[in-house]
Amino acid sequence: MRKDAARSRRREVRDAPFRRVLVANRGEIALRIIRACHEAGIEAVAVHSDADAGAPFVRAADVAVRIGPPPAAESYLRGALIVDAAIATGSQAVHPGYGFLSEQAAFAASCEAAGLVFIGPAPETLVALGDKLAARRTADEAGVPIVPGTFEALESGSPAAMKGIVDKAEALGWPLLVKATAGGGGRGMRRVDDAGELPGAIASASREAQAAFGLSAVYLERLIEGARHVEVQLLGDHEGRIVAIGERDCSVQRRHQKLAEEAPAPGLSEGQRRNLHRLALTVARKVGLRNAATAEFLLAPNGDVHFLEVNARLQVEHGVTELVSGVDIVREQLTLAAGRPLSAEVRRAADRAPLPDSHAIEVRISAEDPARDFAPVPGVLSYWHEAGGPGVRVDSGVEEGMRVSAEYDPLLAKLLVVAGDRPKAMARMRRALDEFHIGGLQTTLPFHQWLLRQRDFIDGRLRTDLVARSWSPRPLWEDAARRAAERLIALAEERSPAAPALSTTGTVTEPERGWAMIARREGVERWP
Amino acid sequence: MSDVRVRVTIHGFEHGFEPIAVESGDAGDAPVVGTAARATAVRVRSKASSAADRAEGRERYEVVVDGWVLDATVEPAVLAALREKAARGPSEAGPHSPVSLRAQIPGRVVRVWVGLGDAVEAGQQLLAVEAMKMENEVRAPRAGTVGSVAVAIGQTVEVGDELVTLG
Repeated sequence: MRKDAARSRRREVRDAPFRRVLVANRGEIALRIIRACHEAGIEAVAVHSDADAGAPFVRAADVAVRIGPPPAAESYLRGALIVDAAIATGSQAVHPGYGFLSEQAAFAASCEAAGLVFIGPAPETLVALGDKLAARRTADEAGVPIVPGTFEALESGSPAAMKGIVDKAEALGWPLLVKATAGGGGRGMRRVDDAGELPGAIASASREAQAAFGLSAVYLERLIEGARHVEVQLLGDHEGRIVAIGERDCSVQRRHQKLAEEAPAPGLSEGQRRNLHRLALTVARKVGLRNAATAEFLLAPNGDVHFLEVNARLQVEHGVTELVSGVDIVREQLTLAAGRPLSAEVRRAADRAPLPDSHAIEVRISAEDPARDFAPVPGVLSYWHEAGGPGVRVDSGVEEGMRVSAEYDPLLAKLLVVAGDRPKAMARMRRALDEFHIGGLQTTLPFHQWLLRQRDFIDGRLRTDLVARSWSPRPLWEDAARRAAERLIALAEERSPAAPALSTTGTVTEPERGWAMIARREGVERWP
Repeated sequence: MSDVRVRVTIHGFEHGFEPIAVESGDAGDAPVVGTAARATAVRVRSKASSAADRAEGRERYEVVVDGWVLDATVEPAVLAALREKAARGPSEAGPHSPVSLRAQIPGRVVRVWVGLGDAVEAGQQLLAVEAMKMENEVRAPRAGTVGSVAVAIGQTVEVGDELVTLG
């Protein structure tokens, strides 16, 4: 059945860029990539750990290969096994998705050494961009303004060395950030408000970076207060053509983890957009970027733009740019990786990018408890109902009844909407959030319900500390608990005349009966 | 109606937050939140209840309000009060008093697994009633001894008819 489907796909699509592609990832992004493969007439190979054996992305693939037990270090991070699986399945290319091996130059190189196409930038580009200090030097040499800070890793071994670091910090000005040269996601990063905090912050950031990325090197960057996070989507072909197809605002973050994103970045003039896109292209050309990447910037309250880094891979939030630009970024990655030039569609999107004519918003629905500082909540999804309707897209990797493992990223699904302008997109997102219904474990849905009604967000006053300054969940869940109690009392009152009498002698009621009545009542409420 | 007690706790909260208990009689001072347009923002689903829950008339629900996943129990206030009193005092009323299991749906008895004097465990299948082409099992709400079996295979029952008593 699967084979037949694959054959017919190949017949339906002429000129597919590859015959078969291995997807070296899991969850929603693996499914997203498999879908793009199928639309491009390509067979998709999934690799999976034991924890994901029955996952939707595995079932969607034409071929599935088990690569190990649940821990990522024993499965999704085992590059050599994944290369072997690609060869064994006759795959011609490997799409790494985001996270895991996506930005590991050694993995990209080992794919190429095995005769496989790595769908992403060249290994040399990954090396040049993976080290944040190298990326800062590259941007600086290209004349792109960077966040003021050091260009070298800090050497804090001796008291004299620490004195030198304090001098550098004083010159930069407080507050500042101690940042790891490797990795991302907010790990290995510390805010420092004065010289007294500096030694401790350097030590703890180094330890965290060592544990997370195997590299303890850190450097200093001035903290730009009140800044927004904006990033530019880049696509490049093998002939050196590189375009920017739009920017995103990703300021809604908690400890440098993005929670919601939108495209275009609201409130920018055409001139500001053109400038941002130009700066991103300047860095991309300097490193000979090909395939897909994203250049990240801080936009200061005074309008200054500072380059942060380039993520040389597909981003989690690529979908908002797809909805506004009309480009299927993943499908474009496949054709670009096959050595084909940028499509006419992408070039048109690049021309239109400074003057966007629609607006898209994405929220990340994760198995995290927003009342407990977004702590991960593993468990079983006892109920899962996605939003639908006009202008709504759900990129999901889960289904009802699935166990959400503590082994992996807690992202369950991305809910995206697109509409003619930002107010309409926000209204659509509020409507879609009301439709989305998840039971069994706590998710970030209540945070997003709040966000879409938060004044600063509605008015476009975005800054990366919006969540830290404004999110206080207690009144929200207290209100929710009271409303829940009121509803249950109302339901109990309604069914009491018909319900069999409960007596202290222990007559038993069948609980399903109560539930059936509630279900009927809920049905009636939905159809007044 | 003033005889039901509702308790709502935030799923996953282990400490620091008191459960909210609302007696339906004194819920009047709580403001009604939510508009008609967002009526579906509060959703109620029943959860599996234990034999002890069933014996004590307690029902468990998961209530989702604006995406918050809440645990809730609904029980007769009189039983809740008794239970609290029992928890305070040395003697516990309830678990050893006889239980009469009655038909909750009209249908036909299609299976009887137990007989007079059988010792049964909590949750054990006692008999099955077929209704709307579905077999509905009746299980023991607690451990005990079958005191009587009032029906036989093939017999038609109405809601409220006694099926089995547990001593």
